[in-house]
Amino acid sequence: MGDPGFIVEMKHITKCFPGIVANDDVSISIKKGEIFALLGENGAGKSTIMSVLFGMYEPDEGEIFIRGEKVNITSPRHATKLGIGMVHQHFKLVSNYTVAENIILGSEPQNKLFGFIPRVNIKKANEDIAALSKRYGLKVDPESVISDLNVSTQQRVEILKMLYRDAEILIFDEPTAVLTPQEIEYLLEIIRGLRDGGKTVIIITHKLEEIKAIADRCAILNRGRLIDIKDVKDTSTAEMARLMVGHEVSFSVDKTGAVPGDTVLKVENLTVRNDNGYEAVKDVSFEVHSGEIFAIAGVSGNGQNELADAIAGLARNTSGKVLLCGRDISGLSIRQRIEEGIAYIPEDRHNLGLVLGFTLKDNLVLKNYYKPDFSDKGVLNEKSISDNGIRLIDEYDIRSSKGNQTIVSSMSGGNQQKAIVAREIDLNGKLIIFMQPTRGLDVGAISNIHKQIVAERDRGAAVLLISLELDEVMNLADTIGVIFDGRIDRIAKASELSVNEVGEYMAGVGKGGTG
Amino acid sequence: MTDTIIIDGLAFALPMFVMSVGGIFSEKSGITNLALEGLQGFGAFCGSLAAVLFAYGFAGSSRMPYYLSYLIAFAGGMLYAMLHVLLCIKFKANQIISGVVVNILAVALTTFLTKRINEALFSEKSNKFVLETSMRFTVPGLSRIPVLGAVFTNVYPFEVLIIVIAVITWYVMYKTPYGMHLRACGDNPHSADAAGIDVNRVRAIAVILSGGLSAIGGMSYAYSISASFSPDIYLGFGYLAIAALIFGNWSILPTLGACLLFGFARSAGQALIQRLGMPSTYNDLVRILPYVLTLFLLIFFSKNNRSPRALGEIYDKGKR
Repeated sequence: MGDPGFIVEMKHITKCFPGIVANDDVSISIKKGEIFALLGENGAGKSTIMSVLFGMYEPDEGEIFIRGEKVNITSPRHATKLGIGMVHQHFKLVSNYTVAENIILGSEPQNKLFGFIPRVNIKKANEDIAALSKRYGLKVDPESVISDLNVSTQQRVEILKMLYRDAEILIFDEPTAVLTPQEIEYLLEIIRGLRDGGKTVIIITHKLEEIKAIADRCAILNRGRLIDIKDVKDTSTAEMARLMVGHEVSFSVDKTGAVPGDTVLKVENLTVRNDNGYEAVKDVSFEVHSGEIFAIAGVSGNGQNELADAIAGLARNTSGKVLLCGRDISGLSIRQRIEEGIAYIPEDRHNLGLVLGFTLKDNLVLKNYYKPDFSDKGVLNEKSISDNGIRLIDEYDIRSSKGNQTIVSSMSGGNQQKAIVAREIDLNGKLIIFMQPTRGLDVGAISNIHKQIVAERDRGAAVLLISLELDEVMNLADTIGVIFDGRIDRIAKASELSVNEVGEYMAGVGKGGTG
Repeated sequence: MTDTIIIDGLAFALPMFVMSVGGIFSEKSGITNLALEGLQGFGAFCGSLAAVLFAYGFAGSSRMPYYLSYLIAFAGGMLYAMLHVLLCIKFKANQIISGVVVNILAVALTTFLTKRINEALFSEKSNKFVLETSMRFTVPGLSRIPVLGAVFTNVYPFEVLIIVIAVITWYVMYKTPYGMHLRACGDNPHSADAAGIDVNRVRAIAVILSGGLSAIGGMSYAYSISASFSPDIYLGFGYLAIAALIFGNWSILPTLGACLLFGFARSAGQALIQRLGMPSTYNDLVRILPYVLTLFLLIFFSKNNRSPRALGEIYDKGKR
């Protein structure tokens, strides 16, 4: 029997996928009208248990009670009938439909043309949705087309979709991953409003501050197991982080002072036009030495992508020079640059970092499969590629369901990034470019990658770190350059710069800045 | 001469248009449909066979009413489209390959059956079911309007039928819940599924409808330009219909424009030959005019086209 005090009870849920136990005997109970957070690292099983609740997977073992009654949720449609709604991480919206059309899809209000021909009553839908969005303070225009809307507005459409179907239990899967800080603030406000309006909210996240900010209770998962359920107001962030990762995490990075050596990368008066013909990088000059982490701080879209692409060879420079160990590499192809010793961890790991449909072992040799180590007279040597995969998976702790044979699109984001980092570091390059290396990763994975960045520096590589996270820059950099509107106006030793000063240059209001 | 161009152009363009509309239904739901050619031929075969059998039954004293042969063609086209449904949706086969297979099979099957039936019933070796040409009518009054009057002159009844069908299909596509579900399945089947829509069912119905509509096009050709059913019906009009719907950006009205363009290009070419008194061997050259035109138009306009986003994608529930 279920306990009527809880709106959702999941008892002893176990769910296995081939080669991996995603949920191992997990039991959680959620009270009506609370904000309940599920905390865990990538691959801890948070999304899986909610997919079970939403009817996308059937559990191998365990029972679910909704409002005290035992249910067997077989499909999302069934979950919707039970008053459960879910905002997925990847939104499920029809891009060429209006907001209203998306919301009513599958349960359209109808009227009759000439009294007998059925038609969708889009006018009523628009009115209903305008009223609904007003009631919950969710700003959207029912008549605008989805593809014209930004991510944050699309998310509000997803929320309205649940409310339109009278959902009482609202599940949010990593809702803030794609939002800016202001949008996050607004979303958290909306979620609080939903709770105050009597809804029960379940939020999946790995961001501790958000949990602290809105959640009432929090379940912590690690590798498929439930570690603990905590009252958020009585628990410190550090405590939650420790439970989540399974060991103490330090938020600062241990590193010794830099011992810079020879100049490895020298960028001289580099100007790069982007695809639209706009000068995205303007007359930039800097040097990176071996044994040094040179970090470029800046707000997104100030020329960071174009700068990294121009050094790695993905984009051509319009004018200026890129010198590697004193040799101009501007005219070299991407492969030639790789052979000269440039490793690149790109921001867009799905399009530039990996071939998603390939196996893990093949992705791990993407940059050197043609070398004699891995191929003989144009024929790939499966044995050595496989050995290489096993070695890197072990060394870098890349977790996946089928090891070498895993198709990388099925891996979690953190492990995909680990795979790229493993491949690039293993090239033993002179220069390693890290572009937003920890985007979308959880605490454990971030600290792991930070350690590797420092280790590469200590090995003697020149590290160019481009990051939008100011904390990351301040923690790791030996030297900092701040980019604003395509220019780097301030370069200084990290020890000589305060966070505030970097922030001012990032906003273009620093001394000598253009704004 | 303009009158002939308009009259012949319309008679050619509208059957193609109804095939295109069928294609739009299928493709807007997310299923690539290269099978229009085979579907129209198979539908025409069914309708023509019925007409021939009817005449045989009445010993030639009576002929089958048009609407009956059209109904049978429609049913035949829908039935044959189920093969595409079976391959693409049930067995998740590649939609291009399935379309090609459906086309090739239609040619072989209908040719074979036509020969066998002719042999068995009429004991003659022929790959043709001869039909009489459809009657035509002229609207009094309206047909007197200069130039445009040609639109109302010597009209085949099927032209009217096709326009009515186009209006109905437009309404279904854009105003009814089914149409809304259909277009959603072609853009993002995952969203549709999450909204509780049975994606495969919606798509199956769309493909079956496209079979019926193509068959109406094929039957119209059998009753007009060829006045028979024979393998000659597979002249590539189905493919041209696909070009028209792509050129028309998967929208019904612009597709009508594309079909009219192809139709008038053809009839104008034919008129030109007669004018210049070219020998009939040049006929074949003129016949390729619409295709050449298609090629050029596609080169220039296809970059602005937006196909349904999930077109040709096999929908697999488990895939996230």
